[in-house]
Amino acid sequence: MTDIVLKIEALSKSFNGNMVISNVSFSIPRGELSAIIGPNGAGKTTLFNLITGNLVPNSGGIFFQEKEISGMEPFNIVKMGIARAFQVTNIFPRLSVLENIVATLVTHRRGNFNLVTPIRKLKSVYEKAHEVLEKVGLTEMAQRQSGTLAHGNQKRLDIAVALALEPKLLLLDEPTAGMSPEERWQTVDLVQELWERLGITMIFIEHDMDIVFRISQKVRVLCYGTLLAEGTPDEISKNEQVIEAYLGEEV
Amino acid sequence: MMTKERPTQMRRATSERKHWVVSTGFLISLFVLPFVLNKFGRTGEFWIWVTTEMVIMALFATSLNLILGFGGMVSFGHAAFFGVGAYTVALLMKKTGAPLGLALLAAPCVAAVAAAIIGWFCVRLIGLYFAILTLTFGQLLYMLAFQWYTFTGGDDGIQGIPKPAFLGPTNYYLLCFLLFLICLLVMRMIVNSSFGLSIKITRENPERAKFIGINVRRYQLMNFVIAGFFAGLAGGLFTELNRFAQTEFLHWSRSGDAIFACLVGGMYSFIGPAIGSSVLIFLHIFIQQIHQSLVEIWAIFLGLILLAVVLFAPEGLVGLYGRIFTKSEASEPGDATRKK
Repeated sequence: MTDIVLKIEALSKSFNGNMVISNVSFSIPRGELSAIIGPNGAGKTTLFNLITGNLVPNSGGIFFQEKEISGMEPFNIVKMGIARAFQVTNIFPRLSVLENIVATLVTHRRGNFNLVTPIRKLKSVYEKAHEVLEKVGLTEMAQRQSGTLAHGNQKRLDIAVALALEPKLLLLDEPTAGMSPEERWQTVDLVQELWERLGITMIFIEHDMDIVFRISQKVRVLCYGTLLAEGTPDEISKNEQVIEAYLGEEV
Repeated sequence: MMTKERPTQMRRATSERKHWVVSTGFLISLFVLPFVLNKFGRTGEFWIWVTTEMVIMALFATSLNLILGFGGMVSFGHAAFFGVGAYTVALLMKKTGAPLGLALLAAPCVAAVAAAIIGWFCVRLIGLYFAILTLTFGQLLYMLAFQWYTFTGGDDGIQGIPKPAFLGPTNYYLLCFLLFLICLLVMRMIVNSSFGLSIKITRENPERAKFIGINVRRYQLMNFVIAGFFAGLAGGLFTELNRFAQTEFLHWSRSGDAIFACLVGGMYSFIGPAIGSSVLIFLHIFIQQIHQSLVEIWAIFLGLILLAVVLFAPEGLVGLYGRIFTKSEASEPGDATRKK
């Protein structure tokens, strides 16, 4: 039996009667790097919002390591080991790059209620923060104010913040959105490298089929809120339904 | 990387040393001040009274800034906790004959409890709604003190609060100054701690804070209670200074004064609100000294000052000082929030 990290069962979510996710079920085995694709408005980000607790499903269940997590508060879900990076960069813009990570690490280590120790005295946190920044290649920019970084680097920082939480499951919402082609491939390489090195289970949303087919082990296609297909990149690229609904005539 | 970092570190070290020299000198002169003023008879005594008020209001403004500058939440109800502290001291000393020490200990604690109750509701809302709700609760307490004649004395307030014999103007100033310093150090410690950083990130991006595992409301509530605690002490000290407590202490305009102090001094610096508060009080008295009738148009002066600050020194006096005297950062160390 494979080790299932995330199991989604008959999940449905509607906004004002509009079904955005309808009856979606799938399971993610531990260590998988998978992609979710689908046309705009297919419900991909909504799915992430449901998994991370930002939205509460109308029906169905989400199980993380066999524990039901639907309906839990986002900050509690994070503590269980699910982290996410955002489609639109979502960092702490007026803090330095390093402080972004330090704040995350402090939270991760449940040290927030320490009112006494100056943050600068927490040597081990700073060491760890530098380590995290090195992983994503932001060491040089540690002291920069994070809001002044180039877009690509802000997205890297977003990923770094998620990584600092040492997640078991990492959700990346369009990690390459809005990047130049060059940055795009750098980020893809980064994602793949992190996955190989850290062995985290990762799910990413992506529109660029070249990227999807190159790095993902498994692809799931969402279309109008339903799971249209699920399979290896090869299978998906040959799936007629998917071609018709999303990929177009030729890939 | 090390070669890049070293000069900045050195520059920071020298600017920090300069910082230390300036603040130590300033503190010593504040300590000596009443003894000098004592030489000037009645005028001197008046100015001791004024500086005592400045110190107390600096404490009040600094406490508000924990919510406003560091927490990023505009509260129009901070005077509520100032007032609760004030009435706690007044009632305890007048009605039960409690000693000043006990009353001053109780004031922040009662204010913190009030802050916990009011804050529990308020942190559920954000932005404008939060501001309005704090205003509502503040005015609610104001009306309560106004109407509950038998308990609070209504609009007469509570007069004739006893003053221990040894607490002359000079000694009372020193007591306030000492307590102010202690509170300032404690608040500074909180701001620089892990908790302080967590508060800053809930200000920066509450949405993201949630997704790194922070229970945003709980932190905001805790911060609100801490701020209420110090505001309560300020209120208690102010009551003893005036030897009365009145409903005006609870009025929202007092919250407004503290907000103006934060704006003028610079709410993204730790010491800014204290400076802003002192400067505003000084100007107020100064104008009064020029001509009594000028006080009636104080609001116009205040408006002009605020206009100037917003247009030319959006980071307040501390930001202005930083821009003029230090080319690097004028900020509190360990915090890159100053520059846009």
